[in-house]
Amino acid sequence: MPQKKRPGQRAVMAGLIIIGILFTAFFGMRAVHAFRKFNGHRPPPSGKVETDVELIRDWMTISFISKTYYVPEKIIFDALDILPLSNHDKSLKVLNKEYYPEKSGYVLSLVKKTILTNQPPPKPDPPHTPTASPPVAP
Amino acid sequence: MSTFLLTQVINFGAPLVGLILLLGALGLPIGASIVLIAAGAFSQQGILSWPGTALIGLVGALIGDTLSFGMGYYAKDSVQRRFGKSAAWRGARASFQERAGLAVFLTRWLITALAIPTNLIAGGSGYKYSQFIAYDVVGEILWISLYGGLGYLFGSQWELVYDFMSNFGGLILGLVLFGFGLKQAWNWQKKARSQLI
Repeated sequence: MPQKKRPGQRAVMAGLIIIGILFTAFFGMRAVHAFRKFNGHRPPPSGKVETDVELIRDWMTISFISKTYYVPEKIIFDALDILPLSNHDKSLKVLNKEYYPEKSGYVLSLVKKTILTNQPPPKPDPPHTPTASPPVAP
Repeated sequence: MSTFLLTQVINFGAPLVGLILLLGALGLPIGASIVLIAAGAFSQQGILSWPGTALIGLVGALIGDTLSFGMGYYAKDSVQRRFGKSAAWRGARASFQERAGLAVFLTRWLITALAIPTNLIAGGSGYKYSQFIAYDVVGEILWISLYGGLGYLFGSQWELVYDFMSNFGGLILGLVLFGFGLKQAWNWQKKARSQLI
């Protein structure tokens, strides 16, 4: 007599296949979309000073931003009108909540503005030194 | 939760990365992968030391995996009492033992969503700890090198890496579930046909 599939086992099999298809379709589309974005960006050359302020997030601390963007902490704290003392390890989000609770996103936008205006100028490329070329025969 | 942890990783460094990977290996959904990719990026930005962070992270992940293996191991008797007589359980156990090494290795870095169940099943099915830890070490080294390495390579653009890796992990999980379901259905069909003949 042929073995009967128990309804529970059949449901598990069908569930696995359906969930598998849904996961594959959903995450597959998202992965392709993420890959397109990801593929458009090349890794930055090592040692390059970060200049893109749009990469600043509200979970970052002032000391982290200062190190990443080469802008002294004091300049950022002064711009925010906040004392550095005991605020080094607080995120921009926490600083906003503590010092400017009525202005949502204020600290983040002010930090971005401060970085833009105070970043060290990009290092110029080393001047091209012409190599000694052999004298051209007349 | 993840953003709070990222702020704390900046403040407390490698020991916190180790603790997060340990808790992640115990099954706490605290975003171990995002922290690992970010730790790679923070190392490139000079906030963390990559060799130290990678080593402490590896130790944390291995302790977490060992603890979850241990949970399965100590639950073995009650599982055995409950399901020991079931042919399906015995079959699943034997089938797991055959491919346990590969399962442990792949769930460390490719199908990370299945890492905890794999640890529990490995411990509960009597799989040898020495074999488990050997595959575990290789898989975790690959996970840390791949995720942390991509974070390191892309630096401040690490969020793009995380976006891709998390969706890619979901895609692989979907394919595994689909393939497993299809295989089960195929086996049932085959059994049913052979019994008809």
